[in-house]
Amino acid sequence: MRRTRKFFNDLLKSRHFLIVLIIICLTLILATFTRENSQGPLYTIAGTVITPFQNGVNRVGDALMNWASGFKNVQKLNTENEELRAKIEELTAQNNQLIQAQAELKRLEDLYELDQEYPEYTKVAASVISKDPGNWYSTFVINKGKADGLAVDMNVLAGSGLIGIITETGENWSTVRTIIDDASSISGMVASTSDTCVVSGNLSMMNSGKIEFSELKDRDEVVTEGTAIVTSNISTKYLTGLLIGYVAEVAEDSNHLTKSGTLIPAADFKNIREVLVIKELKQTKEMPN
Amino acid sequence: MRRKVVIFIILWVFFILQTTVFQLQTVTGVSPNLLLFLTVSLAFMQGKKEGLVVGFLSGLLIDLFYSRTLGFHALIYLLIGYGTGYFCHVFFDEDVKMPIILVAVTDFIYSMYIYVFGFLLRGRLEFGIYLTQIILPEIIYTVLITLIFYRLLFKINHALMDRQKEERQSLWIRD
Repeated sequence: MRRTRKFFNDLLKSRHFLIVLIIICLTLILATFTRENSQGPLYTIAGTVITPFQNGVNRVGDALMNWASGFKNVQKLNTENEELRAKIEELTAQNNQLIQAQAELKRLEDLYELDQEYPEYTKVAASVISKDPGNWYSTFVINKGKADGLAVDMNVLAGSGLIGIITETGENWSTVRTIIDDASSISGMVASTSDTCVVSGNLSMMNSGKIEFSELKDRDEVVTEGTAIVTSNISTKYLTGLLIGYVAEVAEDSNHLTKSGTLIPAADFKNIREVLVIKELKQTKEMPN
Repeated sequence: MRRKVVIFIILWVFFILQTTVFQLQTVTGVSPNLLLFLTVSLAFMQGKKEGLVVGFLSGLLIDLFYSRTLGFHALIYLLIGYGTGYFCHVFFDEDVKMPIILVAVTDFIYSMYIYVFGFLLRGRLEFGIYLTQIILPEIIYTVLITLIFYRLLFKINHALMDRQKEERQSLWIRD
């Protein structure tokens, strides 16, 4: 008798508990479902408490990795390789800028106007300290935040290509959503002709390392395999002219007006360790007085 | 009290491992769901209430860092913890077979929840691709983790339980 009463007592208690927690969860979901970016105190606390650990674990991991490849020769080659890679990325970025500058120049020359230089953005380097725990989304956390002048919506590059955008910042950490994330969608354009398209991440294509593009209005029929796609000037959050990737496949849509296909991202998503954050936000419309 | 602290530390360590070591190689690769394993195992060993709390905390940690909607993961984790709790004391909890089945089933439920609310509602209909590329590999990895680590977790839990039981019994005797 006593035991059964105790059993029901426990059941009731845990059931009440369940209901309270479910209500808390639902309230949180409702309260935060439509938020763009909120900076609650909880985030700050969690960020300050957890990121140092993740940072530490990664540093240990890095140290172990370095130790594993400890032979001086190998290390030397590694650094040299890294330097060369960095150089390649730098040159690719430069080349990309030059192609654009050239196209821009040609257009502006046609208009008998002065050419416009692409501004050099100020960048800050950050390293990746942790990644999304699940397999459904593709976001990661970097070790710089408000303290280093980062803000939500700043663009993030890895090497020569665009890698994502900051969606959340704390004092010393920021969350980056990558462009291959299923929820990501960017307005892009063909570097040479400025024809726009929509570039969106798609989880079902992640394994092949590609992302989708669609609604490309290719008026001059110049888009083929290998054509560079950059962020467009009409994008609200992405700065103009950042390299997204190169066209891998392209096909005409059934409406015969637009084209769609796949891109190979310029950034290497397999090993993201160091990223560059552009400390500049896209200028959005401001009403002139 | 001591048990709670230890469980919390384990949860903490699992979360950090999950977001660092297990994701080191690649952003695109599939990794096991350590927090689900922890929630399900503890719920199976300890019952509904424990599953509820551990699940809620695991989900909340994920939400705080990686989710755009707070409470989204917390809700499913706490429901899984609570549901698994029903199997507590019904089966022998030192046997690894039952946890494996529970982990596989709950991981599938969890994946379906994410798929339906995060993907299907946005018009991503290719369920077959998600099933073969993400859901099944994740379940296999998580089951593997369960195979390897369940015994260890069981022993840790048992050791903590024994001490707790002793303390409680000695109190009763004094009464």
